[in-house]
Amino acid sequence: MPPSFVEDRRKAALEVFESQPVPTWRRSGFWTTTLRKLRLGELEPRRYTPLEELPEIVRQDLGDEEHAGLMVQRGASVVYTHVADERIVMMPLEQALEEHTDLVAEYFARRLPYDEGKFPAATAAFWTGGMFVHVPKDVQLERPIQIVWLIDEPGTAQYAHTLAVVGEFAECKIREYFVAPDLAGQALHAGAFELYALPGSHVNLAHYQDWGSGEVYDLSTRRVEIRRDAQVKWVPIHLGGHLTKQTLDIITAERGSDMRHTGMYFTERDEHLDLFSTDKHEEGHTTGDTVWKGALTGESRASYEGLIHIVPGASETDTYLQTHQMLLSPNAKGDAIPSLIVEVDNVKASHGGTVGELDEEQIFYMMTRGLSRTEAVRVLVEGYFEEVVQRLDDPGLEALVRRRIADKLRGAEQQVREFVAERAEAA
Amino acid sequence: MTLEIQNLHVRTEEREILHGVDLVVRRGENHALMGPNGSGKSTLANTLMGNPSYEVTEGRILLNGEDVTDADPDERAKAGLFMAFQYPATIPGVSVANFLRMAVNAKREEPIKVKEFGRLLGESMDLLRIDRDFTSRYLNEGFSGGEKKRAEILQLAVLQPEFAVLDETDSGLDIDALRIVADGVNRMRVPERGFLIITHYTRILGYVRPDFVHIMLDGRIVREGGPELADELEDKGYEWVREEVAASAP
Repeated sequence: MPPSFVEDRRKAALEVFESQPVPTWRRSGFWTTTLRKLRLGELEPRRYTPLEELPEIVRQDLGDEEHAGLMVQRGASVVYTHVADERIVMMPLEQALEEHTDLVAEYFARRLPYDEGKFPAATAAFWTGGMFVHVPKDVQLERPIQIVWLIDEPGTAQYAHTLAVVGEFAECKIREYFVAPDLAGQALHAGAFELYALPGSHVNLAHYQDWGSGEVYDLSTRRVEIRRDAQVKWVPIHLGGHLTKQTLDIITAERGSDMRHTGMYFTERDEHLDLFSTDKHEEGHTTGDTVWKGALTGESRASYEGLIHIVPGASETDTYLQTHQMLLSPNAKGDAIPSLIVEVDNVKASHGGTVGELDEEQIFYMMTRGLSRTEAVRVLVEGYFEEVVQRLDDPGLEALVRRRIADKLRGAEQQVREFVAERAEAA
Repeated sequence: MTLEIQNLHVRTEEREILHGVDLVVRRGENHALMGPNGSGKSTLANTLMGNPSYEVTEGRILLNGEDVTDADPDERAKAGLFMAFQYPATIPGVSVANFLRMAVNAKREEPIKVKEFGRLLGESMDLLRIDRDFTSRYLNEGFSGGEKKRAEILQLAVLQPEFAVLDETDSGLDIDALRIVADGVNRMRVPERGFLIITHYTRILGYVRPDFVHIMLDGRIVREGGPELADELEDKGYEWVREEVAASAP
């Protein structure tokens, strides 16, 4: 029997879920994210039996890189668990509730209120399986901890919850992969992620999302809390999803904590991406550096809103946020909004950003060295993302991301070429 | 084997800048094109490379007899033309070494072997006294003015074009850097290669002696001569040219 704090939360969340309509997000009349095409009633949490071997799509993405631990949840069930490094705890969250009750009770949902909206409530009410990671005090891992969320059948609803606790002075890499083949039909991933980086710890965290070209909706909330003198480098990578609406928050909660938040997205076809990230400084003497880069092709829509929030009392904070967006198609629409809420004096906080198209001067320069226009564009876009890719600090994952960027550019080559030629004409 | 500019008229959106320029550079020759700011030197260089911001309204550019007036910049590069930019673009995320390898491969059927490229790059860097870690930096990102110029000459050394246009490569260099760059250029002066060195100052010509000097004023070449013309210019300045031209006008 699971502990009551989980069951009570489920019941309360269910009430919120049932009482709230399906939301539509609007911003200043210009940007709307709507779920009116989502047929929620037709989706169900599918259960699966454990797998002996990794599914092909997972194997392709992970390569043969060695891991400290690897878990895969397919639909509603954890189907694969392999813990290679015995110093860590890695198991389904359901199991951790039984076996590590105190630790889970201390952290579970501390930063994830169930009443933040219909889908956070759905996740709180319906999650199954789940991921629990604990890297104990002083443990230093060389190899990454890998978590995979797999949806491989249309009609799937996946309610996800990951709880990761990294102990004092521990060091590790945590990667979450969100993958699906090109599904014919709808699916939903409604996810919750929480990471607590305890004092003095160093975490390199990545989220890799590639839901394929099917109609996968991703409605998720991810929060990272960084305690005293700890550092988290967080690299969210968005490479595919029919509709994505996510809240990504990183919180320096105690003095001396440091965040490096570097994200990217590449949207294509009719994909719709709506990200809202907050860098929240709850204490003084904390530092932050956020860079987000996006590229848009096809008729895709991508909005990134990044907020720096410095609360009263958090003086001597030093933080910076940059957002960049590159349009590669005349029919794509993007929006990148940096903003600041500073409720205290004596801080350094600034933001900057660019929304633009390809730079003709750069293209000309590269062409004078013999590169064709198409090659020049490819190199420019790959180079543009390279700053983000290198922050992964993980050769296997870096190679995967580079490969996928190259695939997407090849897929859009004709379109990009026409767009660039049109613009050259206009110039 | 020649780079031939015939009666070249060039305009931007606003106005005509070059009003009929004729110039012939043969392989093995070193030409200096001098002129005050705004005389049209950089416009000529950019037009030679096919910068889409400039429109050729009359005249033509021949490379080894072939008309390249309307060719794309990459075709001109493959045909053997190179320009060292006055203000090269920054290419974030692309290292100097990677960029050079792509540029070398653009001219070849088969990609260059890693070892061969390493040797080529190493030799060129030694020639220009460039540190090894330079090539892992992103091209021109955070480079000082002098580093940018050196990166341009490094590309020249690696790509080994038939004709090289140096657009004010000397400006912004301190004397040590200028000597190194000039030394590099001198070693690249071989019978198979022609140079067009565009400069505002005579300083670099003290190190890279030109065979021919052309002086440009208001979009026209107004004086031509041997290296002694540069010396005369050094003594008398551009005002002297301007007055001479005005005096000889009908």
